[in-house]
Amino acid sequence: MITTDIHALVGAYALDAVDDLERAAFERHLRDCESCRTELDELRETAARLADSTWSVPPPRLRTSVLAAVAQTRQVPPAPAVVTPAARPARRRWLVAAAAAVVLAGGTGTAVYQVQEQRVRDKTAIAAAAARQEARTRDILAAPDLVVRTAPMIGGGKVTVAQSTARNAGVILLGADAAPAGGKVFQLWTIRGTAPTSAGALRVGQTSAVQIVDGLPGADMVGVTAEPPGGSKTPTVPLVSQVPLV
Amino acid sequence: MTERARNLSAVPEPPPTDAGTLLREVAQGDEKAFTRLYDMVAPRVYGLIRRVLRDPAQTEEVTQEVMVEVWRTAARFDTSRGSATSWIFTIAHRRAVDRVRSEQSAADRVMKVGVGQVEIPHDEVVDEVTGRLERQQVRRCLDDLTGLQRQAVTLAYYQGHSYREVAELLSTSLPTIKTRMRDGLIRLRDCLGVELTA
Repeated sequence: MITTDIHALVGAYALDAVDDLERAAFERHLRDCESCRTELDELRETAARLADSTWSVPPPRLRTSVLAAVAQTRQVPPAPAVVTPAARPARRRWLVAAAAAVVLAGGTGTAVYQVQEQRVRDKTAIAAAAARQEARTRDILAAPDLVVRTAPMIGGGKVTVAQSTARNAGVILLGADAAPAGGKVFQLWTIRGTAPTSAGALRVGQTSAVQIVDGLPGADMVGVTAEPPGGSKTPTVPLVSQVPLV
Repeated sequence: MTERARNLSAVPEPPPTDAGTLLREVAQGDEKAFTRLYDMVAPRVYGLIRRVLRDPAQTEEVTQEVMVEVWRTAARFDTSRGSATSWIFTIAHRRAVDRVRSEQSAADRVMKVGVGQVEIPHDEVVDEVTGRLERQQVRRCLDDLTGLQRQAVTLAYYQGHSYREVAELLSTSLPTIKTRMRDGLIRLRDCLGVELTA
């Protein structure tokens, strides 16, 4: 395909909606155009996000079969072109989704469970509490009427609130890019009308948390503030993040 | 603090479980890292391929090809060009589209469009919820597109149609479809907050 405007195909190319000849022509075009490559990378990254909505659990036999095939498959060496992997700063916006995933994974995986009760000597009690909370978290998150809302945090990060009226409970997931400045801690609040109730404070330096809140569906908002260590009785404004629930 | 505060649980340091880290370990021949990467991305890879192909048997076959390809070529992943998951889904989508465009598959698909069983292991709940979060956002952003942008993008991505087929399906000119695919993706990019640099 000969055209002066081969670049107009960038969207179609990112969607794999071109034929083989056009694909080859477009790839030739890319070699000479750095800004076109950047645009393509971004559109391709965007197109890949469309796969987020296609989640479906593969049959377990597929896992067995893939792992067996991999054990028999030799890997190719890195591409000959020299890539200079200059340390890139974190890609914040992508990371918020990842942060939520980390929070979820951490919050429900017993192995990495850390409860504030860790100061209590009885480790059995801790494990039991963690297991209970894990089971509870799963139960809420699996509710058929689960509603999920998110809001960004000032300073980077994301607060996600998942609530179920059927369970009359919710889970607050906090994943911040950094702990609050000045040795402060994050504190979670549920707000009904104008009345705030503490839903717990994080420890100094702690940047992620999973918190179950009973009766959450009646609240109007979930807020996050930065407070002195140990938390405050009333929230200090301005809020670091707010997630409206109605 | 209150009762609630004592129930607060947290992860002190996020474990290195992002796909990019795992993929770099996979590139070093680490099979354990590959297993973890598989568990992390397989539901979306499988789901995407299934969405395009619709046939469960072919979906399994292509998913296997894709995951083995990820293992085989992990060293070719270039972080400066995008995220690890995007790299994997790009491979998956390309493979699915190649398959769907083969004539035999097209014939098979007509015969076999149907609903297969979905098995959800209990320990996938976390992924399920993460998936829900992302699904919501993608759907919201798709709703934000014009009708023609949305149709052009979804017919190509989810059904594997070429832009020529899309133009025909939508009775629209080729240049218009090319443009709608591009500006539709640009609008999606802005809505989803996709960026390659901080």
